[in-house]
Amino acid sequence: MQIKLGQNLLGANAAIAGEIRRLMEEKGILLLNLMSSPGAGKTTLLEKTLAALKDRLRLAVIEGDVATTKDAERIARLGIPVVQINTHGACHLDAAMVRDVLPAFDLDGLDLLIVENVGNLVCPAEFDLGEAMKVVVLSTTEGNDKVPKYPLMFREAGALLLNKIDLLPFTDFHLDELADDLGRIHPGLPRFDLSARTGEGMDRWSEWLLAQVEERRRR
Amino acid sequence: MALMESLVGVLASEAPRHNIAKIKKVKLTVGALTHALPDALQFAFSVLREQPLFAPGAELEIEERETRGRCRDCGVEFAVEGNFGFLCSGCGGFAVEIIQGRELQIDYFEGD
Ligand SMILES: [Zn+2]
Repeated sequence: MQIKLGQNLLGANAAIAGEIRRLMEEKGILLLNLMSSPGAGKTTLLEKTLAALKDRLRLAVIEGDVATTKDAERIARLGIPVVQINTHGACHLDAAMVRDVLPAFDLDGLDLLIVENVGNLVCPAEFDLGEAMKVVVLSTTEGNDKVPKYPLMFREAGALLLNKIDLLPFTDFHLDELADDLGRIHPGLPRFDLSARTGEGMDRWSEWLLAQVEERRRR
Repeated sequence: MALMESLVGVLASEAPRHNIAKIKKVKLTVGALTHALPDALQFAFSVLREQPLFAPGAELEIEERETRGRCRDCGVEFAVEGNFGFLCSGCGGFAVEIIQGRELQIDYFEGD
């Protein structure tokens, strides 16, 4: 016997993501899904962003990690509520994992909730977490080929952070090639060239993020 | 692997509803934009089909679909080459909607 299904494999995930999105809208929280390849410097960037905003916004973090709690400990040291999701080897977070940890936060007292996704550009792009915005971190040391290789990620992003801009002279990364590629995939994508390590460009990004949260709250 | 696990999850709940005890074949449609590699899916399936839900040697058929876009300005439909050229081949516009390539769909399954 043949049974026709026509069911999307990610259908169940999409339904849960929809619930999360509605809840975040109701509470006026901006939910960010922060994604990158391994080694793009995402955790350091997140730490610096949180430090810049913590006196102006009520923040919390969901830390996705394959196995360790190291990154979550770095966030907790800033005095910011953080919950770690250990994916037990899975290469991405899914909406159910996020939903299950939401009760750990005081959602009525939050403005911005950042999910640090597992370091990997492929699978996380496919799993909607109910976020208001995907933010992709790319670093100058990764080379230009990430953008053409993972176009969906860059197409769906609400902002692109180009990290390690201080190392630009020591790499073969080309800013004009990046601009070209983005022009074909996602024209108008807000892009912030910065270095989490030196702090260069961090103000512009933090101010922009603050403005996004404020716009959300006014709605 | 995660995708194949969700596949098994869906089948585990659907098969009993249709009185199917052993699944012999599953047909999937996979769009190029998902980056789900057919070889990797086949490998994951070869591991997961050892579960009692499947008949011995159960088969996974994968239909691959290219990425296609439609221009919001001029309405032209075109293949997005190399998953990359999100630029209208008709008018050169940027407002391209993805109409094919994101599928990850179980079309049907067969069994007794
Ligand atoms: Zn056109």
